[in-house]
Amino acid sequence: MKSRIREALYIGLFDALPLLRDPMLLVVISLFSFLPVIFIFVFADQKSAVQSLVGAIVLTFSFTGLFASQSVYFNKQWFRFQDMLVASKVSPASYAVGLSVSGLVVALPGVLVALVLLLLSGPTSVVGIFLLIATSLILWIGLVFVGFAIGATTKNARRANSIPQVLSIAMGFLPPVYYPLARLDAYPIAKAFAMLIPTTHAAQLAKFYFGLIVIPDWEVALGWAYLLGFAALMGFLASRRAHWVDP
Amino acid sequence: MEVVRVEDLGKTYPGGTKALEGVSFSIQKGEIFCLLGRNGAGKTTLLRILATQLKPTVGRAFVLGHDVLQDPKAIRPHIAVVPQEARPQMLLSPYDHILYFCLIRGRSRAEARERTRKVMDDLGLWEHRDKLASDLSGGLRQRLIIAMALVADPEVLFLDEPTIGLDPLGRRSVWHMLRELTRKGATILLTTHYLDEAEMLADDLLIVDKGRTAFLGTVEAAKGDTGVGMRVIVEPPAGNGTAPPEVLEPRSAEEVLAIVERGLREKRKVTFKPASLEEAFIKIVGGSIEVEDT
Repeated sequence: MKSRIREALYIGLFDALPLLRDPMLLVVISLFSFLPVIFIFVFADQKSAVQSLVGAIVLTFSFTGLFASQSVYFNKQWFRFQDMLVASKVSPASYAVGLSVSGLVVALPGVLVALVLLLLSGPTSVVGIFLLIATSLILWIGLVFVGFAIGATTKNARRANSIPQVLSIAMGFLPPVYYPLARLDAYPIAKAFAMLIPTTHAAQLAKFYFGLIVIPDWEVALGWAYLLGFAALMGFLASRRAHWVDP
Repeated sequence: MEVVRVEDLGKTYPGGTKALEGVSFSIQKGEIFCLLGRNGAGKTTLLRILATQLKPTVGRAFVLGHDVLQDPKAIRPHIAVVPQEARPQMLLSPYDHILYFCLIRGRSRAEARERTRKVMDDLGLWEHRDKLASDLSGGLRQRLIIAMALVADPEVLFLDEPTIGLDPLGRRSVWHMLRELTRKGATILLTTHYLDEAEMLADDLLIVDKGRTAFLGTVEAAKGDTGVGMRVIVEPPAGNGTAPPEVLEPRSAEEVLAIVERGLREKRKVTFKPASLEEAFIKIVGGSIEVEDT
């Protein structure tokens, strides 16, 4: 077990190393999800800015999950490092965990800064922070699976770059993650679509646990069920698409 | 000691493409075994099956006594692969690549640093250790990929066109390194399109054509079986520059002597061209080229 953790750690570090070696690029990438918060803070009120900050934390986790697709694709089809690692004692689980957590390593500085800002913005609880992180992690797991399914299916470098970016707009910037779901009350069709997107549920739960919005118990239960179901479904899909040994 | 054994191996890809059919051979410990064939002949498919990266459809293959399909985990710690067209990560240095591959394969930090230094020295990469891979020449990048495999100190090494893009000196340093590895007991299977490389390195070779065995044996046997012999080129006499040279294929020492005597007598330049594997290869796979052309 210890050697498997070590393998995963070094695979993750190796995958993240280009960014870790270039702190300027690391800062830009880790703060990417937080840029809209600045505009919301400038053009709206502080309460909206705090909501968007929580949304940005949720999205940082989801983007790192989604962008695992690039690591999967490039390590398999471009660099061919996956083939080199298959022919070694590295386990497929270590490889998958390593590529998944490399994104988290990169995103961590931004998340820590955001958490500090949240703590400074008003009273909060340890449970609130814990549940915010838990919600984001479950969403992250589901989207890592999506990333693996995309990365393993994609056959050309252009699509490997464009698909996660299109999905990150569709799942991150359009649904009510930075802004409150209540803004869509006047647009029932848009609200119905938003409720189909997992980031909406994760953002709602995170904002609720941080005491920024009030939602009924059934919506909390629905949110958790949706996120867990999404992660399970995407896990199944990834297991069918991503192969360690080619068939 | 038999390190690799392949029995009637076949591979049909899920899309229906038949890549290999009825291939059988074995490789002994310390041997360099070359796989030759035209593009798409099935070389990479065969190498990937033996390196436990691809499942065969029929037949069996054993590496170090373990079945590649039933027991790949027993094989993997003892092998390493240089895949075809592998590329380094452009934003990392050669040192990072090799060190991290060593660490991922389970070496301690101290061992990994020592091993990285040794392999980089052996392949002439140490002076480039801190450059970005994007700043390396194509040959150095290829040497880096080879170093990432060699750092594992494998018992069996699989190389898919490892010297592609290397300059003549780079190729020779890789050949030297491969010979050193076999002297220490490693076994090597490599695919190549450079027939001079196969001629220089191969203890045995397999020529595959359209997924089937076209030839299996030594380089000398390949030349002998196809009737490719030494050629003697007799230049036209001085002052007759427009006449083409005579190209002769003597079958015995007496015939060689006769040609040399004639050259001396007529004051014509005589050069000897040894039989090459390239000519044998073309004769072996030539039939299928003609069929395709018509």
